[in-house]
Amino acid sequence: MSAVSSWVSETLVRDATERRIFATLGLITVLLVVGVLTGVIGPRFLLFQIALVGMYALLSLGLNVQWGYAGLINFSVAAFWGIGAYCAALLTAPNSPLGLGLHPVFGFLAAIVVSAFVAVLIGIPTLRLREDYLAIASLGLAEVIRAIILNEDQWTAGSSGISGIPELLSWLPLTDAATTAAVVVVLIAVVYLFLRRVHRSPWGRVLRTIRSDEDLAKALGKNTYQFKMQAFVIGSVIMAVAGAFYAHLNLYIDPSDLVPLTTFYIWIAVILGGTGSNRGAVVGAAVVIAIREGTRFLNDIGFIQTLGVDLAPLRLLFVGGLIILIMRFRQDGLLPPKDELIWPAARDGGGAGGASASGAAPDGGTASNGGDDR
Amino acid sequence: MNDDAYEGARLGKSDVVLKTTDLEKAFGGLVATDGVSIEVDRGTITGMIGPNGAGKSTLFNLISGFYENDAGHVTVNGEDVTDLEPHERARKGLVRTFQTPRRLEGMSVREAMLVGPGPQKGESIFSLFFSGSDVTEEERGNIEQTRELLERFEIGHLIDQPSTDLSGGQMKLVELARAFTTNPDILLLDEPVAGVNPTLANDIKRFIRELNEEGQTFLIIEHDMPFIMDLADPIIVLDQGKVLMEGSPDEVRSDDRVIEAYLGGAGP
Repeated sequence: MSAVSSWVSETLVRDATERRIFATLGLITVLLVVGVLTGVIGPRFLLFQIALVGMYALLSLGLNVQWGYAGLINFSVAAFWGIGAYCAALLTAPNSPLGLGLHPVFGFLAAIVVSAFVAVLIGIPTLRLREDYLAIASLGLAEVIRAIILNEDQWTAGSSGISGIPELLSWLPLTDAATTAAVVVVLIAVVYLFLRRVHRSPWGRVLRTIRSDEDLAKALGKNTYQFKMQAFVIGSVIMAVAGAFYAHLNLYIDPSDLVPLTTFYIWIAVILGGTGSNRGAVVGAAVVIAIREGTRFLNDIGFIQTLGVDLAPLRLLFVGGLIILIMRFRQDGLLPPKDELIWPAARDGGGAGGASASGAAPDGGTASNGGDDR
Repeated sequence: MNDDAYEGARLGKSDVVLKTTDLEKAFGGLVATDGVSIEVDRGTITGMIGPNGAGKSTLFNLISGFYENDAGHVTVNGEDVTDLEPHERARKGLVRTFQTPRRLEGMSVREAMLVGPGPQKGESIFSLFFSGSDVTEEERGNIEQTRELLERFEIGHLIDQPSTDLSGGQMKLVELARAFTTNPDILLLDEPVAGVNPTLANDIKRFIRELNEEGQTFLIIEHDMPFIMDLADPIIVLDQGKVLMEGSPDEVRSDDRVIEAYLGGAGP
């Protein structure tokens, strides 16, 4: 247990404020568990929310690769999410217009391939230009994808949507809600570890340099177009995987979720959590979903009922208020990125090598520890 | 850094590192670069001066590939690089710094420095997963090199600072050090001491001289006359998009055309 807590404090928590943030998150978790045990919250509902938070966390991680690392302004998060969701729904639902009823694995594979293809297609003309061109083109892409799905109903079932999407891993001896929650936890773990490896590396550093000063990266011999394309494709594929997962979570999909609002929830989650921070992306997604879903129940509170106003539609106001508070008191987000660009083994090994090689190493050693605590 | 490697590289290459032939660039009706032909010999610190609007920065951008030229050629080590992108030219050994370095947000000095060496194995996602130990080994080497270089430039204590916290002068030093880690054949410095306090400017001068003694070739734009006159030889004088003259600092100082065009009749 102590080994676990020391791992947590070393790899996740960087300073006192972050300790308080994690303590708050821990407290909320405890409250939720107590809620489930006392029967206030249905376990099925909670598991569904966990799966939903997980899906948003995946989307945030995807956007974080693009915006947080490479500085790519992608306003088509909902479109890539929709591509993933529709790939899964069309291929796996027996009563979809394609009527194939394939195994969910094919849905996920199609989501990856199609989203990568679309990302390359939109990246080729825009990634060589200034960053605003991708922003404009991606806004257009989001509407184009939505319009296609809405109107080409011989292929996509249009506004009536696709139902009958099969559940994932239904052979597991768990309830369906528990299975989807487990699946999303595994997906996040895989994506998180993948991103941790690629970010804490020369690759991650080049992307971060591009974000601040693309000309500098070019002057140092980096093919910035290639790096931006890789980041854009990786982010888009992660978003599509989140979409495919959602299709199997909700078991029904229609174009109404492909609106820009979905995209902006993800932007808010990334900014809230700390642009460029993978930990932040996950926490930011949880906070945004907590507010969005939590406000549904505001009207059930007796005191508010006596006021006779409907507070639930004010959820965007709450999100906006939170953003203002964060920007006022913690500009870089809840869990901003720190020391996330060098693989720990390389860095620590480098310090130790220095210790035996030169007398100035103690200085370097303490300095690098200081960096972690900063 | 590595003398053997440098000598080895040097043997196969001509003694002119950088050459431009009749470079031309016009912005609308304004001819910013008007048939500029210069040569930078290996092992020199070549200075480039000229009044505001003489076309120094434009020429730098043409040489490094950030602007496309209308006519003429750029060659590095005898190889024509005119049609190459900026990053391709950098890989041919032509590396530049910028007049106003932008801070790298969210990066420590160490991390900002580590962008320099290249191409690194760890820049490929495939290598990160399939030859991770090679990547880690290379990283350790680069981290060690970074630490040594920063200590040599007397800013070793800044290695863990966020690069956003550095002063303008310190940032210029980091820029110089980072550009040097690319192992360039020629370093183009765009006003390396603009806005830097005199003490630090002297340090920068000393470091440039040291690197030069180890064989590093420089081409430097600088407005600070005492600085460039003390450091560079030869000096190229640009005026109105053309090469006005080229010569030693003394020749430049005493040249009537330079005094008239650039110094407005007053001595340097």
